[in-house]
Amino acid sequence: MSVDPRLARSRPQQQQPTAVPPPPPPPPMGSLDSVSDSSLVVPDDQFKLKFCTICASNQNRSMEAHLQLALAHLPTISFGTGSLVRLPGPTVHQPNVYNFNSTTYRAIHSELASQNTQLYTANGLLNMLGRNLTIKGYPERFQDWVPGKPRLDHREDQGAAGTEAGVVDVMITCEERCFDAVLDDLHNKGGKLNHPVHVVNVDIRDNHEEALVGGRAILDLALSLNTAAAKEREVLGDGGWDRGAGAARQGFDEKVPDLIASWQERWPNLPALWSLAWL
Amino acid sequence: MNPSAQTPVGQLEAARSLALGDGRYYPTIIPGVMPIIGANADASIEIRRWGADFLAETFASPTWPPDVKVPCALSVLATIKEYLEGVADSGVLRSAVQAAASIYPLVYRHIIADPADTQHWQLMLAIKSNILRRMDSAPPGVRICCVKFVQQIVLVQTPGMPPDPRRPEHTDISLALVPRDHPMIPYANLEAESSGLLDRLLGIIHGDHRLDRLMARDEIPLTMYSDALLVTATLNSLGMLIQRRPAVITKILSSVMNFNPLKLANSPMTSKNKVLMKSIERTTRALLVNVMKRNPEGPFTGRIQQYLEKIHRMRIDVLDESNRKRPAPTETTDNLDAAKRQRLDAPVPIMAPAVQAVPALPPGPVSFRQLFTLNPDGNTANFDVQAFQDPEQLLRILVPVLQSIDETRLGSSINAVRSRYLTLSTAMPRPPVQAPAAVDDEEEYEPDFEPEDAEQVMNKLDGAPPDNFIPERISDAPLAPYRLPEAPLLTVEEAQNHGKMTIQRAFQMLSSIGEPNLKTKITKGGFNRLAASSFDRDSWITILSRLATRASAGLGDIDQGIKSEFEVKRGSLGLGESIRNQLYQYIMSDWRKRIDVAISWLNEEWYNDNVIAQSTKPTSKPVANGNGAVSVTDKGNYQRCALRLLDGMLTYIEGTDKVLVRFISEIPGLDMSILSRMKKMAEDPERIDLAIMVLQYLYMFRPPVRELAVDVLVDMWRTNDRAKNNAKKLLLRWRPEALQEDREEAFKTEKESANGALEVKAA
Repeated sequence: MSVDPRLARSRPQQQQPTAVPPPPPPPPMGSLDSVSDSSLVVPDDQFKLKFCTICASNQNRSMEAHLQLALAHLPTISFGTGSLVRLPGPTVHQPNVYNFNSTTYRAIHSELASQNTQLYTANGLLNMLGRNLTIKGYPERFQDWVPGKPRLDHREDQGAAGTEAGVVDVMITCEERCFDAVLDDLHNKGGKLNHPVHVVNVDIRDNHEEALVGGRAILDLALSLNTAAAKEREVLGDGGWDRGAGAARQGFDEKVPDLIASWQERWPNLPALWSLAWL
Repeated sequence: MNPSAQTPVGQLEAARSLALGDGRYYPTIIPGVMPIIGANADASIEIRRWGADFLAETFASPTWPPDVKVPCALSVLATIKEYLEGVADSGVLRSAVQAAASIYPLVYRHIIADPADTQHWQLMLAIKSNILRRMDSAPPGVRICCVKFVQQIVLVQTPGMPPDPRRPEHTDISLALVPRDHPMIPYANLEAESSGLLDRLLGIIHGDHRLDRLMARDEIPLTMYSDALLVTATLNSLGMLIQRRPAVITKILSSVMNFNPLKLANSPMTSKNKVLMKSIERTTRALLVNVMKRNPEGPFTGRIQQYLEKIHRMRIDVLDESNRKRPAPTETTDNLDAAKRQRLDAPVPIMAPAVQAVPALPPGPVSFRQLFTLNPDGNTANFDVQAFQDPEQLLRILVPVLQSIDETRLGSSINAVRSRYLTLSTAMPRPPVQAPAAVDDEEEYEPDFEPEDAEQVMNKLDGAPPDNFIPERISDAPLAPYRLPEAPLLTVEEAQNHGKMTIQRAFQMLSSIGEPNLKTKITKGGFNRLAASSFDRDSWITILSRLATRASAGLGDIDQGIKSEFEVKRGSLGLGESIRNQLYQYIMSDWRKRIDVAISWLNEEWYNDNVIAQSTKPTSKPVANGNGAVSVTDKGNYQRCALRLLDGMLTYIEGTDKVLVRFISEIPGLDMSILSRMKKMAEDPERIDLAIMVLQYLYMFRPPVRELAVDVLVDMWRTNDRAKNNAKKLLLRWRPEALQEDREEAFKTEKESANGALEVKAA
């Protein structure tokens, strides 16, 4: 029986990262390889931060990062900050434009495939959409997100485990425009949850290759943040922070700037920004 | 992990997911959960962490309404207090403070409505004071949550919009709800407290909060490790205060705009500090931009824009963004790219093929056309050059095409054809001699020139029908030497035109060299210099002026006499004249800057005139001095050109153009006709001073023309009323007798006019 990966979401048993079906569209082998290393998967009994990846259209960069974080078993959701989902069209002046939150990746995939299969195969769009529809149902707009609203209807999404409450600890944006948009919108949302969130920008150019590299960088960042957060809970434990000394006394939150700085040294081509904001 | 906790946590999780599924379950679930996580329960740290997280999540949840939350909030106060006082785990503390931040407005509202409920308010106050105590001492992760808690207090204890009775569910919890005579929470106290707390929040931005600790504990310098965390946490919590509490906008904004986000610039530029600095700056900007966006017409927009521009400039200064631009993308060294490209399973256009795919030749006999056609599918293969009737048009296309040819591709194409030819010539038996329809006997073939000549033949054959076969025995057929067709003789006019074009080109080049840097000290070569030892403007000027003066010297009719300017303008025929014309135009197009060109040209002219004069009239008296007022060659080119230049310049010259002094003083020969131009110039009252200055300069520094200059001055004094005063001052020193004569004369005339017909008395 031939297996269409686009149907993967409707078959929960196939959502294991090891069971990504063969093409067409081609499976994201590159991403799989990068996390097949067991050191890049966070064991489920360990403490986990909740992540959120954000780019302009919730298609390429945020979705690549979403996939890589989800494959590392980190709770992840993703958003776009644009007003509409914009994908390249036949010419620069004719982009394909879709609404957030209502147009599924599957619908976009089939529309583009019927429009011009060869073009959208050649520029990698169909491949990308094929990957996206195995991750979640539809692109979501950040500004429409209500933090704290349970996301039980997203249970099928990759990386959904842990994000049921609709709260995240770390947001990773993929370009400065999105970083600004996120900070701006968080002011508008008003911080009603009183929940601190680290917003980190990782500047990634919007193409498939850079998204892949950027996804790996984001995974690296997420893992180092998560390790620090988990360590805080181990080290401090019962008895409190004042028993420790020196670095051990340093909690997760104040370590974040250091972690980002050392991450920046590992990834000098992806300029970083950071801010502590409120959900 | 504590395994014994697994089961309770599992149960708790089940309860939580029920509530997540529907917020209406919270009121029933909380009483069930509290005994497990709550105060007095001897819960493990695991359970307590879960409990604190749950409380924070529960009271923040938007899925159930605030008025339902209130009774639940009252029921969990004791637990939160116990967490804060009894548990020293920062995870628990963080979540407890978060929960308290969500609960404080609820309890506050409850107390407003029920002033008698002292018990719960006391609990809340205990929680509040506990959290406020931690503001300065807790680990930063907890302190940021305290910041948010304080922000919540400021929010509800500052007057907001008056409540709207029609929409009670949307009522904004603020000081406006508190009656002035509330027994438990006096209005004035609340207001004072929130004002003080807001100051404390704003103090965090400015780093003041650490000063006392710093001094007391001699500890971490400002902005060393957690400031960025606290500062951004505070900035990001201020946005909603600005939105919802107009009463404190001014205070907050003026404080924020006094903040220097780049104060880290003084500390070492480690990568961490750079990231932090950028981040704080960006966070500040996001806050202010948000304020502007929400109220573009607001009274602060102008100030905010100024501030944003200021920190933008500072950031550029401090971080020098130009060096921080993303470097050119480097190819990743691992196999990532290849792996990625493979996934694209699509005919990706090959960007730079190392070896061009060359289609095999069709079997059987091949034409030259086929031999040389490497890309039979392309449009160029079917292109007939003969379609261009106009060779000019063809040239216009061909030259850019040739220029754009990629050398490596051309090389590989030549190699491809070469190998084709080799295999062809070895493998294919020559067809029997056929009448070489297109190859004439004259156009035979010489193997030494194989590639080029093959191409030539091909060019010829290309237009011919494609069934030409490779001619027999081309390899040893001799080729007649090729001669370029002889150019037709030029008419005089054409030759002159070409000469003019050449000169024009030389001047175009001159303008492309650009003006010399005025600062650089240039040593003058003089007449004996080598005309051009470098590729600069001076060299070209020297070459051109020598071409104009010396090249055709003596060739013309010596007795031709001086040419009138009219003749020059009409366009004289000689090479010299057209160069002179061009030089003239070149100088006049920017004469202020090119006065040195004019001077060196005129010097060349003068020199040449003298050389000619000496050679043609060896008997005439020799030229004594370059500054001599009397030139041997009155008819020479020098004077004509000098007058022409001077006249040209006089049109434009202004009273302030001292450059004229230089010009007049540096040109080699001066005579009455040149100096009388000064007199003429002085007719313009604005240029009198300049004219006098020229004459004075000549008087002082060129003694040979001193007499001449004074003559001109006297003349000016006599004829130009406006110049009289200036001229008089100089004449008093140089030639007082002239004044004397004149005075007598003037006196005489005065007398005459005064006395009319009366007889004149001698003075």
